[in-house]
This record gives sequence, C-alpha cells and structure tokens, in this order.
Amino acid sequence: MALQDYRNDMQRCSRCSLCKWPPLAQIKSWRFSNVCPSMVWGNFHAYSAGGKLIAALSLLDGRIEYTDKFLEIVYQCQMGGACDVSCKVTRDLEPLEVMLELRARCVEDGQLLPAHMVMIESLRSDDNPLGKPKAERGKWAEDLDVKDITTEKADVLYFAGCRYSFDQDLWGIARGAVTLLKKAGVDVGISGKEEACCGGRAYEIGYRGELTKYAEHNIETWNAAGVRTVVTSCSDCYGTFKYHYPKVGKTMNFEVLHITEYLDRLIKEGKLKPTRKVPMQVTYHDPCHLGRLSEAYIPWEGVEKKVLGQIVIQDPPKEFRRGTNGIYEPPREVLKSIPGLELVEMERIKEYAWCCGAGGGVKEAYPDFALWTAKERIEEAEATGAEALVTACPWCERNFRDALEQDGEKMKLYDVVELLLEAL
Amino acid sequence: MALTRNVYQILEDIVGPENISEEPVILDTYCFQWLAETVTGSKFFTRPEAVVLPGSKDEVQAIVRTCNRYGVKYKALSTGWGPWNAPGSEGVVQVDLRRMNRILEIDEKNMYAVVEPYVIFSQLQVEAMKRGLTCHIIGAGANASPLASCTSMSGMGLSGISMSYSARNPLAVEWILPTGDILRLGSLGSGAGWFCGDGPGLSLRGIMRGTHGAMGGLGIFTKCAVKLYQWPGPKQMHFEGVSPGHVAVVPENFKCYVLSFPSWDSFADAAYKIGEAEIGYVMGKQIAAGIVPLMATRSSTEYANVRQSGMADEVMKEFRYSFQLVLGANSPREIEYQERALQDILAETGGWIPALTQDSERQKATFRMMIKVDGNSAIFRLSGSFGTSLGAETSCDAAMVHARLGEEIKKKYIEKGVIVDDGAEWAWGAEMNEHGRFAHVEELFMYDPADPESAKGAAEFIEETSLLTAKQAPGLAIWELARGGLGPKGHDIYGPACSNYHVWQRRIKRAFDPNFSADATFYIEPEE
Repeated sequence: MALQDYRNDMQRCSRCSLCKWPPLAQIKSWRFSNVCPSMVWGNFHAYSAGGKLIAALSLLDGRIEYTDKFLEIVYQCQMGGACDVSCKVTRDLEPLEVMLELRARCVEDGQLLPAHMVMIESLRSDDNPLGKPKAERGKWAEDLDVKDITTEKADVLYFAGCRYSFDQDLWGIARGAVTLLKKAGVDVGISGKEEACCGGRAYEIGYRGELTKYAEHNIETWNAAGVRTVVTSCSDCYGTFKYHYPKVGKTMNFEVLHITEYLDRLIKEGKLKPTRKVPMQVTYHDPCHLGRLSEAYIPWEGVEKKVLGQIVIQDPPKEFRRGTNGIYEPPREVLKSIPGLELVEMERIKEYAWCCGAGGGVKEAYPDFALWTAKERIEEAEATGAEALVTACPWCERNFRDALEQDGEKMKLYDVVELLLEAL
Repeated sequence: MALTRNVYQILEDIVGPENISEEPVILDTYCFQWLAETVTGSKFFTRPEAVVLPGSKDEVQAIVRTCNRYGVKYKALSTGWGPWNAPGSEGVVQVDLRRMNRILEIDEKNMYAVVEPYVIFSQLQVEAMKRGLTCHIIGAGANASPLASCTSMSGMGLSGISMSYSARNPLAVEWILPTGDILRLGSLGSGAGWFCGDGPGLSLRGIMRGTHGAMGGLGIFTKCAVKLYQWPGPKQMHFEGVSPGHVAVVPENFKCYVLSFPSWDSFADAAYKIGEAEIGYVMGKQIAAGIVPLMATRSSTEYANVRQSGMADEVMKEFRYSFQLVLGANSPREIEYQERALQDILAETGGWIPALTQDSERQKATFRMMIKVDGNSAIFRLSGSFGTSLGAETSCDAAMVHARLGEEIKKKYIEKGVIVDDGAEWAWGAEMNEHGRFAHVEELFMYDPADPESAKGAAEFIEETSLLTAKQAPGLAIWELARGGLGPKGHDIYGPACSNYHVWQRRIKRAFDPNFSADATFYIEPEE
C-alpha cells in the first residue's frame, strides 16, 4: 500500500498521545513512563507517531512541503514500533506502516539523508550497509570448522547478518552461536563471504527496492541450498525474514528461527544441558525486531467497508499486528535455564520495551540520539539492581557498548548466547 | 499574520532556539485535532504562528509578558488532546507545556501531590499507589493531565463517587495570569505550602475554573497541588497478559461488578442508594450496551460480525441500563458489609449482576479499565472517532432525563446512517459524584472523521442534543462549547438558561485579561 492508501488512518488519528506512552496499565513509575525515544528527544508533537501521521496528511494535502525539519522529524526515529503497539491497544490504525510509507515516499521524491545514501551505496557495492568490503564478510567464522552451504549440504543455515559479519567486537557471539548449535548436534552451515544483507535496514530507511532484491536473492539461494531451517542471531534480520520476506511472494521452503528460539528448543529437548552455575543477576532487553516487530506477516488484500451506519470494517477481515505474538519467552526461558542466574525485569518489557536506539538508520544519521536512547535503557537496567544487561541482537549490543564506553559505565553486557556458553 | 521577527527573536531568547518553531510541519501538529472536521470541515483548526516549549514558570511568565507587550495572543496546552487546545484564531502562539513534566512532591501525610502541566494521570497514580494513595482520573483517560483537568477543563470520571470531579481536587496553584503576573492561589500565597486551595479572604477557585474551566482562556497554570485519596490496594497493581489483552488481578479487598437494571428510573434509584450507603469506590456507566461486544472482540471487523450475527442482541438488551461498580475496603469485614449493602440495594431496585460478567477474566478486564482508566479510547476504534454532547452536572434524575432525550435524537441520526448504530443508547459516564451529590451524563455517538457526510451529521447531532439543555433539560452543554462549533458566542445561547453565568464569565475575562492576550475562543469572547 502507498502513503495515500493510509489517508483514512491519518484522518482517524485522534491526537490522544497514547503513542507516547506504554499501554497505560503498564506504566510503573514516572521515570520510565515514556515509550517513544523520538518524542522525548524532539519534544514537539510532530516527533510522535501521531505527529508523523499528521505530517503525512499535511504533505498529501499540500499544506506543507519538504524541508530539512520535515526530514529530521521523519528520520529521527528508530521505527521500533512501540508507538504502534500502544496505539493498537484501542485502535485499528497502522501508525508504523504510515511511517514506513512516509520514508518510502521521501526516497521516491529524492528527499534523502546523506548518511543513508552512504549506507545504500555500500549496500549496492558490497551487500552490506556498513561500508565494509564484501570480501571480508566471512572472516568472523575463520577456523570455526563449520560447513559452507555454498559447497556442502546442511540442514540448518546460520545467517550471521551484516553487523555480526563485520563488527569484530561481536564475532565471539556469532561464533558462540554456531558452537552451541554444533554442541547440540545440529547439522549447521554458513554462507561465509557469499552471505548478503537481509535488506531490512534499507526497507526501514525507505529504500524498498533493496529489500525486494535481497529477499528474492536470499530466498532463492536458501531454497536452492535445500536448507530446512534458517537461524540467525540478529534480531533485525529475523524480523525482516518473518515480516518482510513473505511480502515478495516467493515460497520459503524453510523455517526461520531466532537463535534464542532454537536454543530454547534444544534445551527443552535435552540436547543442550546448562549445568555450570553462572551466579549473576541480569536483566533482559527485548530487541524491537525480536519482540513486537517479529510478528509474522499475515497477508491481507482487501477493502474498507461500512456497516451498521459508520462502523469501519476490513473485508476480508484483517489481522492487525498488535505486538502480541513477538518472541518474548524463548530468550527468557534460556536465561532461566542457566543455574545460578537470576532474571529481574525492567519496567518496560516485551511489546512495550524501550528501544536500544540503533534502528531505523538512526545510529548512522543521528548518532547522538542513538546513544542517548541507549543510555536511557541502561539507566532503566541499572534501576533493577542487576549487574548485567542481556540482549539478543547485535545492533542493540553495539549501541549499548558504545553508550557504556562513552559514559564509562560499569554495567556488564552480554548476549544470551554468551551466558549459555558459560553455563555449558 | 506571521509573528514579527522581533517577537520571534524575543521568544527564542526566552526558551532557546531548540524550543521554538515556526516550521509548518510542526505547527500543523498543533492545529490538527479530534472533532475539528465537525467544525471546520477538515482535520485542522487555525495554524498557530509558532510553538514554544517553555521549561519553567519564569519562561512561561516571560512568554506571556511578551505576548501582552506586543499584542500577540497565546494558547497553552498540556497533553493537547481535544479541540479546545487548538488556536481559535490567527495570530496565536501555542505554548506547549510538555517540558514541564515533573511530579514535584507527594505529601503522603497530607494526601496531595504537586505536579507540573505535562504529568499524566497514569504517572501520578502509580507513584501515589506506592504510598497507599491514588488520584481521581477523568473519563477521557489516564493519558490526560491532572493539572490541566484540575485547573482548566471539566474533569468528570468514574472515581468521582469517592473522589469527586476535578473542580474539587486542586489545592494550591501557581497561576500565570493573562497579564503575566503570578498568582499563588490558596495556602501557597501565604507562604504556607500547598495544602489548601483557599487562603485568607475570598476564594478565587471559582474564578480560576468554575464548573468547567477556562480552557486556556485565563492564563497558564504552571504548578498545581492535586488531592490524593486512599488506595486500599497493593503498592503496584499486578497485570497478566500481553497487549492488547492486559488484565488486572483483582485484590481480595476489592470487588468489581456490572449491575443491570430494568429501567433508567431503577438505574438512578440504585445509584442514589449506593451513594447514600457510601460503599462505592469507583462507579459509572463506562461500558455501554453497544460497546459490550467490543470487550470480547479485538477489532471493529470482529465487533461488526458479532453485532450483525445477532449474537450480541440479548447481551446489549441486558446491559442497556447498567453501570459498573468497584468496591474497595480496608478489611474483610468491610468488604463483606459493602457486598451485603449492595445486595440489599439490588433487591430494592430490581437490579441484577449479568451472568456474563461473573466470569473472573471479564472481571479482571473491567477492574483494569475502572481503576487504570486506560480503555476509554477504544471508543475511537469502531468508526475512527466519536463525539459527545450534553455533559451537565446535575442530579441523577435530571441526568436520566438527558439520557432519554439524547436517545430519541440519536435514533434519527442512526436512521440517516451518519453515525454508528449502537442501539441508540450511550449515556456515558452516568457518574455519581461525591456519593450522590450530583451526577453527570454524556450522550456519546461514533462517526467517521474521514467521511465528510458522517462528520457533518456528527456536527448536527451535537448541536441538536446540546441545544436541548438550553430549552428542555437545564444544564450546561459543556462539550458543545469545548468543541467550538457554536463559535465565540456559544455561551450567549446557554447563559440565559444557566443563571446568566456568561455575564459574569465575560466580566472575569475582561478584568483578568485587559489586553485580551489569552486566546479566548474556547472560554468566552470578551466583547458582547
């Protein structure tokens, strides 16, 4: 659907500001009662999801034109979707879809951010948005003794994603994930330097064509390789596979799992047995793309109709993504399986978790905003009394690391994989 | 009428360049409002000239003084939900108080909190509950501002039975008068703290807000002490489920009911008796008959399917004259007493507890909604928007007259197809304030703001029902005035039927705002 197809959603926004808060019943304190980083950072109503719906309507109506401030409002947002969840507690609107369409419209109209253009140029030349040479993509797995699915058959493909492939600080997590799978007897392989970006970040910053290109390429490659399962440690990639890939219309002959789902399954099947104590109190950060944004794509093509006077219905019925079915329990289950480890929760969790700050092209275009957002989360984590913050996404990990380093904070940071490795 | 560069520069110097904007993309998000299409035919009221985000009382005062000096109008908002927040004319600077968002103090012993304008009810409630206290929350929802409600705008809510409405809940107030002078109302003015809304001498609370508030037309409020009330529940409520299906565990010393009655008369009798018995903690008609199926469905499409299948017909019939009641007590004996008293009242009035509502999961959902006041915006779900009319504070019997008259008019608009067919019943609120001293009822209806015919029909419905209050059923039609549909002379229509309040209101406006700086559109125009 194009931006103008959401015109009714824009007109039906009531400017209630519920998109700025967690679902109201879940507010637990004044301090951690916001859910929209963009709004807290920008302060003017335009920075909220509701504000962006209004901006989109004004643009369609010709009331306003593109300006630098307009682009800042559109792009100074991680697209984490907490606003969407809060709105949909009581509404049948699609604020996040409008925000995505608004970005696509900006790109179509040539309203581009220089930082995002750099990402796209890198994507087009080297299949990653990080400005790294494609030839270095497989380096993270050197000496790992794992199958290469470009030359060998394997049941399971481990997809590292761009961040794990090129961020040397994080290589240990990707290597650890493969190690765990092998320990459990999984027939796993990787694509090495032949792996390509998932395309998700490009989609989020408005470049639709890139997503389609990578989705088609990856689906065809994995179908041809005959893999039964694609597993990734990257939440961004996972969310892209689950929600965006089905949209391109190609049959996916494989199951997609996040590493935490797979590990939870392997532990429950007795194929991984955490026995060594990890005496630590930790808190878990739900990555947006593993939580609320990982809900599977449910195809819908239909029309809006009116019944009983003015009740607006979708024909055929449409299933709204409300954050209900994100991957919330598997990472927690893995953590709870570790002897000696105690999980304490932050105030904003699961479908209404505060974003890490890295997504939506923000880390590249507005690094200060990205780090501020991470620091807000770290402060929330510290308020639990936990000694470590645990996550399950390399973008979250990178941004938290940068924020911790900048402030000299002492809180420890782990991926779920690292803690499970310690426990085996 | 754009601001002169000089005025803009002065305002920028006050708040800093990052806290002022005249970018159209930002300005449009302040004139876009709920109900605007029923007044202007579009989603937008008049665009402000600039938006400023002051961070302190001193900055607010400097802005107001600048506006007075240079003949510029200003309009303040807190959370900014509702047409009365928008500029009413050209040449207005919008003062967004979002940066003033702190809970400054919670005085547990004296049971009040001091808040800034952008604190919302949800925030205040959770912090108060940690201390065994809670706050009155208005029917609009817990995403609204207690300061704005207490000082400036109406304030009815389900907790009104034990906590009254917002006019009763402000204590001392810090008020930037329309001229820019600071008035510290109540005990604060005597340097005695925040505990009382009145100091030595005459009370000014009636002038500050009266029954319904000046809606920004009498200056800007920067701090307010808000009364808190006893909360006999846990320090932190426990919730189950994932969005959108969160439910609240009902503590042992609470009971949550839906009560149904055979007629509006028995409904009113029971409300009076519950008030007299002083057993109600939270009470009101929040879940109207037409909305009951929405409680069991997750989308408007599902709702419509249930309605069209006829499965909801009996339920809607059973809920037609119903309200919800939460009992809260401090001991098992007290809750037992309250339950016995309620059973007696039901026996005396012919009321009953619908079987459907005795399911514990439904009770949890209702309890969450009644205590957290977080589900009300579901009223927007079915058609995209709703409107409300009537809204007078009156006796419960008179409120029932409003409900009956509203229903009759609603039937006509349902037949025209311009509003949702909700069974022609929705007397929302039906709250008994102060254990029965007065009641409140609104006639809700749902329409589609994206459909010009529906929006036009909505406007006509509000006008027709509201004019009833000037002719057949005395009481101020607050929601018509807050919508701005009657223009600046709206009070002249209702005033003669309500003790000529408009004459006094106009005098107050002239006396307190000699330069007519505070945008008067939703309060009262100073000129006859």
